[in-house]
Amino acid sequence: MLYVQILINGILLGGLYACIAVGFSLVWGVLNVINILHGSFIVLGAYLAFFAYTGLGIHPYLFAPFAALVLFMLGYAVQLTVINRVIEAPVLVTLTTTFGLALLLDNLMLVVFAANFRKVSLKPPLGVIDLSDTFPSIDLIVPVDRLASMLFALVFVALLYWLLRHTVVGRAIVAVRMDRYAATLMGVDTTKVFAVTFALGAALAGAAGALLSPIFPISPLAGTTYLGKAFVICVLGGLGSVSGALVGGLVLGVLESFGALFFGPEHSLTLSFTVLILLLIFRPNGIMGKRGFV
Amino acid sequence: MNLGNVRRGVLAALMASAVVAGASAAELPIRIGAPLPLTGALSPEGVKLQQGYELWKDTVNAAGGIAVGSVKRLVEIVYYDYQSMTPKAVQLAEKLATDDKVDFMFGPFGSGASKAASTVAERYAIPMLAPTASSVEVYDQGYKNLFGTFTANDTLSEPMADIIKAKAPNVKRVAILARNDLYPLALGQEFEKSSKKRGLEVVYFEKYAINTLDHASALTEIKAAKPDWIIATGYINDLILIRKQMADLGIKAQAVTMINAPAYQEFIDATGTLAENVTTATWWHPAVRYESKDVFGSSVKYSEMFQKKFNALPDFTNATGSSVGVVLQMAIERAGSVDRDKVRETLVKGGFDTFFGPLTFNGVGQAISYVPPVIQIQGGKTVVIYPEVIKGGDLQLGVR
Amino acid sequence: MKRSPIAIVGLGVLVLVVIILPFTATNYLLRLTTIAFMYIALASSWNIVGGFIGYPSFATAAFFGIGAYASGILRGASSLPLPATWLFGAAAATLFSLLVGPAILRLRGHYFAVASLVLAAVLREITNAATTLTGGGMGLNLPAVGAINVDVQTRLYYVSMLVAAALTIGLATLIWRSRLGWAMRCIEQNEDAAIVLGVNTLATKILGFAASAATAGLVGAIYATWIGYIDPTDAFDDLLSVKPIIMAFIGGVGTIFGPVAGAIIFLVLEEFVWRNVLNFHAGILGIIIVALLVFMPGGIGSIGRGIEKLRAYGRAGRTSDISGAAPPVVPS
Repeated sequence: MLYVQILINGILLGGLYACIAVGFSLVWGVLNVINILHGSFIVLGAYLAFFAYTGLGIHPYLFAPFAALVLFMLGYAVQLTVINRVIEAPVLVTLTTTFGLALLLDNLMLVVFAANFRKVSLKPPLGVIDLSDTFPSIDLIVPVDRLASMLFALVFVALLYWLLRHTVVGRAIVAVRMDRYAATLMGVDTTKVFAVTFALGAALAGAAGALLSPIFPISPLAGTTYLGKAFVICVLGGLGSVSGALVGGLVLGVLESFGALFFGPEHSLTLSFTVLILLLIFRPNGIMGKRGFV
Repeated sequence: MNLGNVRRGVLAALMASAVVAGASAAELPIRIGAPLPLTGALSPEGVKLQQGYELWKDTVNAAGGIAVGSVKRLVEIVYYDYQSMTPKAVQLAEKLATDDKVDFMFGPFGSGASKAASTVAERYAIPMLAPTASSVEVYDQGYKNLFGTFTANDTLSEPMADIIKAKAPNVKRVAILARNDLYPLALGQEFEKSSKKRGLEVVYFEKYAINTLDHASALTEIKAAKPDWIIATGYINDLILIRKQMADLGIKAQAVTMINAPAYQEFIDATGTLAENVTTATWWHPAVRYESKDVFGSSVKYSEMFQKKFNALPDFTNATGSSVGVVLQMAIERAGSVDRDKVRETLVKGGFDTFFGPLTFNGVGQAISYVPPVIQIQGGKTVVIYPEVIKGGDLQLGVR
Repeated sequence: MKRSPIAIVGLGVLVLVVIILPFTATNYLLRLTTIAFMYIALASSWNIVGGFIGYPSFATAAFFGIGAYASGILRGASSLPLPATWLFGAAAATLFSLLVGPAILRLRGHYFAVASLVLAAVLREITNAATTLTGGGMGLNLPAVGAINVDVQTRLYYVSMLVAAALTIGLATLIWRSRLGWAMRCIEQNEDAAIVLGVNTLATKILGFAASAATAGLVGAIYATWIGYIDPTDAFDDLLSVKPIIMAFIGGVGTIFGPVAGAIIFLVLEEFVWRNVLNFHAGILGIIIVALLVFMPGGIGSIGRGIEKLRAYGRAGRTSDISGAAPPVVPS
């Protein structure tokens, strides 16, 4: 029963992880940019949701699309004004540029929101589904807010998937993802596609932040932790693919949960990073072993 | 090297002539160096400490300053942000000593950084008052210039274990989850000792890594171990998350102790009803009732003044920030001088009645003279449940 | 390498200042200069992999941290003289690079960047968990250098870090002028073409990686005994990987003196911003980083002639060297 509970924990955690990583993966895959800002975008989304809930009483799940919208606009602006100027530069330049932007955004949030840790504490709490209430022999428990956040995150991921497959903009993004130069020759305006893609990545981060706000403490410094997870998940699942981020997230969640059980909680981070390095070396295209485009 | 000596000699001669020349030197403010983590991981605590320093400084200066012999001298605090990076704190301590030439220093935040920065204070023979260093490892280096206002970690675990033993005789099994970091880990180990000493069985003891984002596995194991008393140590974000995930997994226990976050209002705000009946121990609480001979007059007046300035009740980190100020002030006033050796001597003698509690330091400079209160969150408020003289309620059992 | 008279005079002045400082400056200024040497060494060390070979390495923090911990642990456990523990730190970092290098240097571009970035994260967690050896999160307190006073200690580390910086620059120059340096430049221009030219690319990259590790490890080792306290978060700080890159960018990537100039400029900027802004310095540093990267490598030219000139100087040194010392390279 312990193992089943750990598996449930791992899957729920994995769902949240997928939600953290999808936008990061999209930007990395399409723009070839490792976006260090991603973690800070998630935190910003969480702050927006926090103030929407405490100030206006808007439920974080309801607010998630608005957080996505705000971050979409911010992302679009950042891409047009800054990233686009270095988009053709080597990875070192783009990565360090987003690092500089992350320093700036984190410091801004520190000054504006102060460093106090906050969390959306839902009233009333969503509670848990305790299976032992109905089946006394089955001692398993599922927290409703994690489940709900995961499901809403899946809705956003599904939306992205639909968008990439069935809209003109989406098709253009996929085309650029496959071959940037061929897409240009086909008449795709890459500058615009880059901006939309970066904005979509930011929007997904914003939504993730809102969905995570009832679960994790919010602080200007939480960004790097999310970013670290996004790295591992992308490498696990393969770059730039929506389904890859989903699989990568789930695998990491389950891996960490069992890792903490078998090796002790202080080693679970080491475990996930070690897996990342090994995968990079032996299966650089992710555990699914193929380059996914959607 | 010769050149340097000549320069220093000239400087010393100039300074000496300035002192002889008249009172102008005496009117200079007393400079205190304060490296703080104003940005980075520890910035919430850094800001709290700064509030404590500022309240003390403003109060003293409003009263005309510190009485040094017959003259009153204002206080000036030189702040630097060490960005929550310990080496930077060490570097800045040296800057304060050599470049800013401060008279005294306040320590950086936490045991680790205090330990590292105290090396600089010792080298330059500048008395350093550490507001937030509780682990004995900080003091056992045998330095002469380090004085800390926090009592040792076991003064938190011992009373807590006493109360549990007395008020909850059914508690037999203890689970401890500690952050793998200097202070939280040392504290976890103290709780292990205190529990075993009282015949309680420690059924679970694990460490979790810094930056852990998920505690579900550890907590699932804890649940399976069926403990009666759960103890978690860490910083505020860790403990908010752990408390939330305990509820996610339906963990119930007779007693839950978390150190030190529940003493902060942020913990109660962030966990809501889950904070109910969580216990913690802390070195100071607005409910303590000390009469003092310092610039504040009493703990009650201190709280009032803090509330007036910052529009919130002070917590133990705010208070300890002010405490190092008042101790230094009292030591200077007793010594009648800002001479570091004389001030150090009076600090060693101890016997300071402050709003923070009576302060006397042991042979290695750590406070040993007061009993830290144990508190519990009841009805969304912190209530002191120990020591008897100041308690506002009794231990309530049952955390769901 | 031919340099302008201005550069030679500048260099002369610099050397003079470096010699005079220990006799005149305050301990704090000396400490700042010591940090400048440290930055120079780290930027030059990174430049061997990031500039010469053109591989986006974020491994500096990993090397630095290993050097710091190896020398720290040895110093706590033995009574060996300081330089011996420093060499041990450098050796440990080199060994580490030789272990992981052959694996991760097969990766290119993003994959290499991520793998090198994660090295520090893994080491940080391992150091945290290996409590008996490293003290874990409690950090490691190193015994101070015996009975010598503060002034002498400050100067001891000033000289030591200066030597480390000089060694790093020397090693970089040596590599640059050797056949190894030529091979590195081939890889930087076009790795596949380099293979065609008969360059043993993997061996070249491993050697470069090891040189970078040895120097960064040495710096970490000196740093540990200098500060007297290390903990996993600080010793494996990601900023230690990022800052040298920015310094090299400021001065000119892939040149010998670019990283040196960049490190000094960076330190001055950092110190200036930090002194004047109490709690927004990280943000301003971020703005500076972004501005530098956006306006400089694109050559948009909107940042003023001074920096343009600096870059032109860096570029000139670089191309003349390639054309002078190496056979023609297949265009990429």
